[in-house]
Order: sequence, then C-alpha cells, then structure tokens
Amino acid sequence: MSTPARKRLMRDFKRLQQDPPAGISGAPQDNNIMLWNAVIFGPDDTPWDGGASSDVDNYKTIDCKLYGWLHESHTCHNLLAYSLEHSKQRAVYRTFKLTLQFTEDYPNKPPTVRFVSRMFHPNIYADGSICLDILQNQWSPIYDVAAILTSIQSLLCDPNPNSPANSEAARMFSENKREYNRRVREIVEQSWTAD
Amino acid sequence: MDSEDEMAAMMEDSNDDEEFYGGGGGYGDDDSDSDGVVMDYDGFMDHDSDDSDDLSSSHLHYHHRSQNYTILDEDDIRQCQEESITKISTVLSISRVAAGILLRHYNWSVSKVNDEWFADEEKVRKTVGLLENDSPLPDVKELTCGICFETYPRDRMSAAACGHPFCVICWQGYVGTAINDGPGCLMLRCPDPSCGAAIGQDMVNKLASNDDKEKYNRYFVRSFVEDNRKTKWCPAPGCEYAVDFVVGSGNYDVNCRCSYSFCWNCVEEAHRPVDCGTVSKWILKNSAESENMNWILANSKPCPKCKRPIEKNQGCMHITCTPPCKFEFCWLCLGAWTEHGERTGGFYACNRYEAAKQEGACDDAEKRREMAKNSLERYTHYYERWATNQSLEKLSDIQCQPESQLKFIVEAWLQCFILDALYILRYAEYLSALFVNLIVECRRVLKWTYAYGYYLPENEHAKKQFFEYLQGEAESGLERLHQCAEKEFQVYLNSEGPSKDFNEFRTKLAGLTSLFSVSVDIFCQQLIGAGVTKNYFENLVRALENGLSDVDSDAVCRQAGSSKNVGSGSGKGRGGKGKGPTSRSNSSRNIDDSTHWSCEYCTYANVRSPTVCEMCQQRRYVNLYPNPTYHMVLYIIQLFIVVRVDLKLKLGTTWWNMVFGQI
Repeated sequence: MSTPARKRLMRDFKRLQQDPPAGISGAPQDNNIMLWNAVIFGPDDTPWDGGASSDVDNYKTIDCKLYGWLHESHTCHNLLAYSLEHSKQRAVYRTFKLTLQFTEDYPNKPPTVRFVSRMFHPNIYADGSICLDILQNQWSPIYDVAAILTSIQSLLCDPNPNSPANSEAARMFSENKREYNRRVREIVEQSWTAD
Repeated sequence: MDSEDEMAAMMEDSNDDEEFYGGGGGYGDDDSDSDGVVMDYDGFMDHDSDDSDDLSSSHLHYHHRSQNYTILDEDDIRQCQEESITKISTVLSISRVAAGILLRHYNWSVSKVNDEWFADEEKVRKTVGLLENDSPLPDVKELTCGICFETYPRDRMSAAACGHPFCVICWQGYVGTAINDGPGCLMLRCPDPSCGAAIGQDMVNKLASNDDKEKYNRYFVRSFVEDNRKTKWCPAPGCEYAVDFVVGSGNYDVNCRCSYSFCWNCVEEAHRPVDCGTVSKWILKNSAESENMNWILANSKPCPKCKRPIEKNQGCMHITCTPPCKFEFCWLCLGAWTEHGERTGGFYACNRYEAAKQEGACDDAEKRREMAKNSLERYTHYYERWATNQSLEKLSDIQCQPESQLKFIVEAWLQCFILDALYILRYAEYLSALFVNLIVECRRVLKWTYAYGYYLPENEHAKKQFFEYLQGEAESGLERLHQCAEKEFQVYLNSEGPSKDFNEFRTKLAGLTSLFSVSVDIFCQQLIGAGVTKNYFENLVRALENGLSDVDSDAVCRQAGSSKNVGSGSGKGRGGKGKGPTSRSNSSRNIDDSTHWSCEYCTYANVRSPTVCEMCQQRRYVNLYPNPTYHMVLYIIQLFIVVRVDLKLKLGTTWWNMVFGQI
C-alpha cells in the first residue's frame, strides 16, 4: 500500500520532526497521511507575531513551541488568551492553522494548501486559499512540506500586491500601511481565542 | 486524385496544340495573371507549391505562381520540421535535439533563431535552457535522488545537462506528468527550481514510457503548425491538412484539399468581399440577444397596468391581459376598454388613437419603438437574404449532376467514336463540377455582400445605390446560371439510351445528336455565361474591397446602359450553333470594340483612353482568355465539329443528311 507519494510523505514528516525550521510545524492526521495539519508562527518583529497592542511598550517575544511548554521567562502585561491543556500542551496564540491536501501525484503535483484561521493578507482569499507561485505553476518536485510552509511564512510579511486575492488588503497595504498593520493585529488577536 | 493528374496531363498536352486556340495567346499565359487573382481551377489543381524559402523538397508538385499558400499533410509537416532542424543544427553546430528546442522556442522561425543566436548566444542559451557543457553525474557509487530522497546506485540515476541527479523512477513520473498536462511538456525543464536546463526529446525518449513518448512526438509535430505564425490547421471538421501561407496581398482565401474554403486570417469560412472585422461583428450580431430585445421592443406593447410585454397576433383591439392582471384595454391607444366601444370607432379602429396621433401626442416610448422597428427591419432584411443564400449554397454543393445524363452522352457517341466520347465525358464531368463550384462560390460572395450592405453607412446614398446596383446584377446573373444548371439539364433525364435496331437507333441518334449539339451549345453558352458571371463577381468583389471608392452617379447610369447591351449580346448567341463560339467570344466584357472597351474594375465604357480607365484610373486588364473553361469550351466545340465531319465521311452523305438534316 506504499505508493511513491506516501513514501515521500513519510520522508517529509521524518525530516520535519528531525530538523524543523523555525516557526513551523506540521503533522499528518492520524488516519490519513494525505491530509496534514500545519501551523505557522507569525514571523518575529512583524505585526504577525502577536505583538502587543499599542499601549504596551515592553513586550518580549515569547519563544514557544507547539507541543512544548511555556518558558518561565516571559513577561507580559496583557493576559494572553491561550489555553494550556497539560495533556496537549498546546499554545494557541499567534499561530495560524493550515491544512495541506496531497494527492497520489505528489511530488509531481503540488498539494492544496488552505488557511483554517481567518486571515487578512493581500494574497490570501477569504476562504483561506493561497495565491502563491510555487503552489501553482512554479511547483517543483524538489519542494517538500518544510519548503512549502517556510515560503508561506515569508509570504506573510512579503505580500505581492500585484496579484491580489484580497483586494481590500492589497489596496490597504499599498496605500495605508498603518491601517493595514492594525487590521493584521486584529486578526492575530482573534487567532488567540480561536480553537 | 487520378483525374486531377490526368487533367493536368491533358492541360499540358493542349498547351502544345496552338491551332486549337484561334486566339493565339497560349493557355498557360501566366503573364496575364497580373494581380495574383486566384484562378477558378485552384479548387482542382491544389498541388503543393514550393514557394517558401524553407521548403526545398522535390517531391512536391509543380508550383503555380499566383498561389500564395501551400497545403501540407502530416508527412509534409514532418519533413519541413526536419529540414528546419537540420538547417539550424548545421549552421549553429549544435545537436538536433538542441536545434529542435531552440526552434520551438522561437516559433519555428529559422531566421529568428539565426538572428538571436548570433546577436547574443549566451543570453539565448540561458533563456532557452541549453547549457554549453554537459556535466556528467558525480563519480560516486551511490547517489541520492533529489525527489524521493532514496539512494540508488549510479546507473539507476539520470540527469540533464546540468548534472542534477534524480532516479529513473522519479524521472519517469516527472516527465509522464508533464506530458499528460499537455503541450507544455515541450518546454520541460530540470526539476530543480534553481536550474533552467531544458529537457529535450532525447531525454524524453530515454526516460518516458512508450505511450508518453508517442504523445510527446505528436505534440512536437503539432507544434510546428500551432506555434508557427505562418501555418494554421484547416478548420473543416475531420480535415488533417495544414495551410502554410505567405502574407502578401490582402486576399486571405484558401482552398483546402478537402474542398473547404476558408479565410486564413480569421479562420472562418471564406468571406470575400467583406473584411474579417465585419465578419466577426456580423456573426456576433446573429447570435446576440440584442436582436431579441429589439424585436420585443418593436413588436410588442406593455400592458398599461402590469407593464408586461404583449404581442398581438390576431383578432380585435380588445385586449385582456393574462391573470393575475386581467386588465382590459384597447391595443391601439392603450386606454382602458371601458371608455371604448361603438362610439369610438368600433373594434378595429380607434378614434382616440387617431386623434392623439394627429395632435402629435405620441410619446417617447412610441418613438423608441419606431426606431427599434426600423433598425430591426433593416437588419432582418439583410439577414434573411444572407441566410437564404447560405442555405442555397449548401444545396448547390451537395447537388451534383446525376450520372444518368452523362452516361447518356457517352452511350450516344460510343456507338461511333469511343475515344472521343470518353474525352467528352471527362470534360463534361470536369466542366459540370467546375460549374457547381462556381455557383457555390458566387452564392457565397453574394451572401457576404449582404453583410457588407448592412454595415454600409446610411448617409452615403450614391455608394448605396451603386452597391445595390452591383448586387442586383450579380444576383440576376447567378439566378440565370442556377436556372440553367437545374432546368436545362432536365432535358437529358427524359431521353432514353440508344436501341439496338439501326433505324430506330438512327432516328434516336438523330434526335440525340441534335439534342446533344443543342445541349453542347447550351453548355458552352452557360459556361461562357459562367465566365462572364465569374468576371462580374470578381469585379464586384474588387469594387467592394476598394470600398466603392470610385462611385460616380453618372457612371452608374452609363454602366446600366452598357451592361444591358452586353447581356443581350450573350442572349443572342443562344440561337446559333456551329458558328456560335466566335461570335460569343465577343460578348465577353473585356472586348476590344474599335469604339470602346469596358473597364474590368468599374465597368465604365471607355471611349477615349486606350490603356487607363477614365473613371477609376486603373490600368486596363487585358486577358484574352479570362478563364480556362473557355478553352475547354473551345476544345469541345472543335471536337464536336471534327467528330461530325468524321461521321459524315464514314457514313456517307445521304445518311448524314438524314441524321443531321439541316442542322
């Protein structure tokens, strides 16, 4: 039952576990290796990183792992709305959830990637689909899950307003950066409480 | 087709027999084809022409100078492709595969490739993905595939010129997926995203499955037609030919070998004299919903209460709207019915309406309706005629002369001269096919003149008049042709074949031969008429393409006079028999009377100027034999005369007089 696609997906998963890039994590669902859940942390020092609201000046970025535990050495003024379930040890703030659907044509065909969390970004559609070249015509069989997630992470801060999926966001990004950042932070805050 | 070749042979043979053609000017007088007008035997002599600089093969047939396109079948396409590749491969000193990739990238233009290469070879190599040196695989025992991350021994790995190794299984998957995605596989590059090395046919043949190899090959051959700006596929359903075109004159008409005629520019059916823009507008208009709206506006009125459109198709003026409205009103004035009745004029008139109209109280809606109606009427007028001509064109095409009448001709003469009869049959077949072809083509041109008429600006009355006059002449000429084709040939169907008894046969033969001579006369007359009509249509097309620029209302009247003379001239020819042909030749429009000549383009009867038309300033188009049917006609006449003379010698004078009488 081990097709080339599945073999390759197993390898991708092993690689992800052994050598995870920063701010990225993902795993296949329990009974289906063709469907993955992944999480991307907002890149540091960007509106996506869950930075404090404007009235808090000192805010240290928290270095948190998905399946890990909180460090003692964080300070924050706002009580972050995260739920710590000891059994799952899951922190839900400033993370953005995605799903990746693979087919038997993988790696010759790219997976379908969608954001589950609500996003406000020029290249992300309202339904969560992503407008990214390597996921369409610039796909190469050499890209693996880590590469996909890394490039999506960098897309967050480097949008391409020339091919807008969300015209409002694209316009705001080009014209009114402050407003854009504010909206992004709003979305990020929402992702704290989302489950 | 065999008959085509034999026709060609016969034509070439007849070139030598100058005495057949009284006029002296050779039949193959190509110098007179001055402006490359496509001759009407193109439909039959569509041999491949050797005109483009890329083609050098000798297996293609003779070249006709006035043709600016070539029909290619699959083998021709392959051959041309191979030749281009060989050329590039030798000139640039690269492999054939690399030459193929290069050519495909530059749309199969050999000159473009040469220019770009010698301008900046580095840049070209980079853009196309052709590396200078072939990096071999690293010299280690085992390598890791970049796609599946498994390790394999060196011989199970493969790489393009860039040297990036991938295992053969992954290569097969990669190449297979690309091929199944479509013609994009021709531009395949190395899987490594940072590397743009091109994957050519040699790697595909090495790494893909047999099915995929076949598909790739087919895409490659098809690309020669699809990516090449000079070639297009023939749009006829089921036709496998491609057409290579040399853009020169504005005439884009192509006759494919499958007998479909189309315009090379817009790939619609042939549509002279209108241009491609007008054609697409017209087709769009025929299919657009706008006409429906116009119709509703023009032919229906809204219910005064519920405003729904109502069309009245019969009956009196008392209208009751459908439920739930059920409002009753008068159709004419749209007023409530309660206020009508006997007093206001009864059920078929409406005094109130008339009164209101007289006071000019009709409102804007009425005006809009009027305008819509006019525009719709105008469109309907032209569209109906266009559509009728189209259906007639289709009918004419299917209709071919039934075998019986030709067979009959053969049988009648077979008793006497088998060989000559065969000739006659062949020519009769050829001529009748030409005839049908001509009718179809004329119908088509006439059809498109209606579309042309629709787009003529309303305010240019002189042009409109001239156009309608030309069109009327064309139409009547065509009707006459059509009539001849359908009615005159009926005469054959009623006759029976010759019987065995000699006397009976003699009487029959007398009847048949006189019938035959009459029919030959009619045939010739029709053909000359066809020649005249064909010329006329050519003139019409040319005039329309020049945008009717040479319009002069006086000229219109003069032409009306002169053309009538010409028309009656050819009518007179019908009565005469043996002497017919010589006098008939004078009825051609290009005659040189000692007093005047008719201009080919605007049909103005020039009196003073001998070489340039006074009206349209065009040089006189001198062509002694306007079309090849003329020569066929003459040949048949000669044949007929020869045959009759021979018969006379063989059978003796008495029998001759009995059979032919005073004919």
